[in-house]
Amino acid sequence: MRRREPGRYEASLSLHTTTSRLAVYLLAFTAAVVIGFPFLWMIICSFKPPSELYNAPPLFWPVAATLQNYADLFIQTGFARYFVNSLIVAIASTALSLFFGSIGGYVLARFDFFGLALFAGLSLLCYMLPETLVVIPLYMLASLLGLQDTLVSLVGANTAFTLPFALWFMRGYFRTVPIAYEESAMLDGCNRFQTFWRISLPIALPGLVSVGVFAFNNAWNEYLFALVLISSERNKTLPLGLSTWIGQDSIYSWGMLLSGSVLLTLFSVALYAATQSKLAPGLADGGNKG
Amino acid sequence: MVHRGDRLFAAVALLPSVALVLMLIAVPAIAIFALSVQEVSLGRASGTFVGLANFRAVLASPDFYTALINTFIWVVGNVVFEMALGLGLALLLQQGFRFRSLARAVILAPYLLPTIVAVLVWRYMFDDIVGIVNRGLMVVGLIERPLQWLTSPRMAMFSVILVSTWKFAPFVVIALLGILQAIPLDQYDAAKLDGANAFGRFLHITLPHILPVFLLTALLRTIWSFHKFDIIYLLTGGGPIDATTTLPILVYFKAFHDFDVGGAAAVALIMLALILACLGVYFALLRRSERRL
Repeated sequence: MRRREPGRYEASLSLHTTTSRLAVYLLAFTAAVVIGFPFLWMIICSFKPPSELYNAPPLFWPVAATLQNYADLFIQTGFARYFVNSLIVAIASTALSLFFGSIGGYVLARFDFFGLALFAGLSLLCYMLPETLVVIPLYMLASLLGLQDTLVSLVGANTAFTLPFALWFMRGYFRTVPIAYEESAMLDGCNRFQTFWRISLPIALPGLVSVGVFAFNNAWNEYLFALVLISSERNKTLPLGLSTWIGQDSIYSWGMLLSGSVLLTLFSVALYAATQSKLAPGLADGGNKG
Repeated sequence: MVHRGDRLFAAVALLPSVALVLMLIAVPAIAIFALSVQEVSLGRASGTFVGLANFRAVLASPDFYTALINTFIWVVGNVVFEMALGLGLALLLQQGFRFRSLARAVILAPYLLPTIVAVLVWRYMFDDIVGIVNRGLMVVGLIERPLQWLTSPRMAMFSVILVSTWKFAPFVVIALLGILQAIPLDQYDAAKLDGANAFGRFLHITLPHILPVFLLTALLRTIWSFHKFDIIYLLTGGGPIDATTTLPILVYFKAFHDFDVGGAAAVALIMLALILACLGVYFALLRRSERRL
């Protein structure tokens, strides 16, 4: 045995590294399989006909694979409508958060007069408030303004909820933009808005992408405001619309819900692929208010 | 260098943000205080002043204490599981091995998913009869009879925490990977030369480096778990009976099912007080630990 040989220290060391390397592979494999399994199962089951989806015990592979669930999703549920509504709410509140957040964040970063610090503190406090605390008066406000059951109310609520983060994030970002750039632009005759728009904003683009991803994610996932504010089928967003089909444990609903899940997962992956390389590093990772 | 007209620009630029934040967050937050001392129903704009009666009623009801205990179990369970798993996975992904970027993508993937998708998939997998989780555990021999993951009061909270950990542990992984990669490698080499083993290197180099980020991440996860509504409500609806009714779900039920807006406002304010107390304790501990360093 090599262990008895003179170089046994090296031998046992390499044995040690081999086992630890093996352990790393084993752990990584186990973690990936366990964490990734729901994705695999969702995809497999979305192609199963109802008889197999409701088979007890469940079979692993589909016997008679079908696309019927995907067809049913669009025929029986308002999936397309939910998707469009979610897209409208998410894009509108993202655009508003980006615009107000960037220009407001710029002011918070570059100016210092009475009330600014107070507002900055207040908006940070707002970021800490739970949705459940705000949702009751918000519901009352919406009914007072006659905005119940409209997408406008959701856009307003989501924007207000992401704006504090946008303001703080962009304030921090603009502070890293060297003030000398702006001074030379102003010497060249730019006014404040032109300086902001032409000089500072392009430099802060990665920050904008981060805020945009955060705001979009937040609105795309938002459930409580939609649950409380939206009542008609025609205005439902994805989380609200799909959740109404959970209770309906009819023989068909799981197939449709799983095929919808697959489509939404693909959409999320595509969005991530399109934005991840442009994100500001670090900070934005903490952006999702999970 | 401040020009004339700059103040006007600043005021105009900030006005929409101020208006939105005040109108949609700050004013409602203050309105909650007003609602908590009234007997008021959802439909009407004004109610009758009842002083602290809502708070007294809430503090005398067993529902509140059940929700309080559930919230405690939910938050502690969630944060402990997520931080432990997140730290483990981050340390694993820090190792160099083949297919690392693939493993990283799979491990972080749940965080990208919309909550509703995570809920749908897990509800189907956790089904008592047709669910794959029971089937898998029975085939392996870990359980003899199917478990009622989401439908028994004894298991529901555990199952909800499990799904939430799957969904949000990647957040911890992302946060910790960032700081782990910032540790200078020569410190590890020096420790190896001094004969420190892997555990010793973790304890004396890794841990002190990542501790501030670890604690901040734990704090964020605590606050967000405490506020969490959707994942619990969509998985169990707060049930079975009240087994997973946490404080945010209690607020929702009180306001929009029982139409007891004053009571709901009182619970919401108690929640706010609890979270502020948590923050106070956290920052006090942080200051003390910084002073010791």
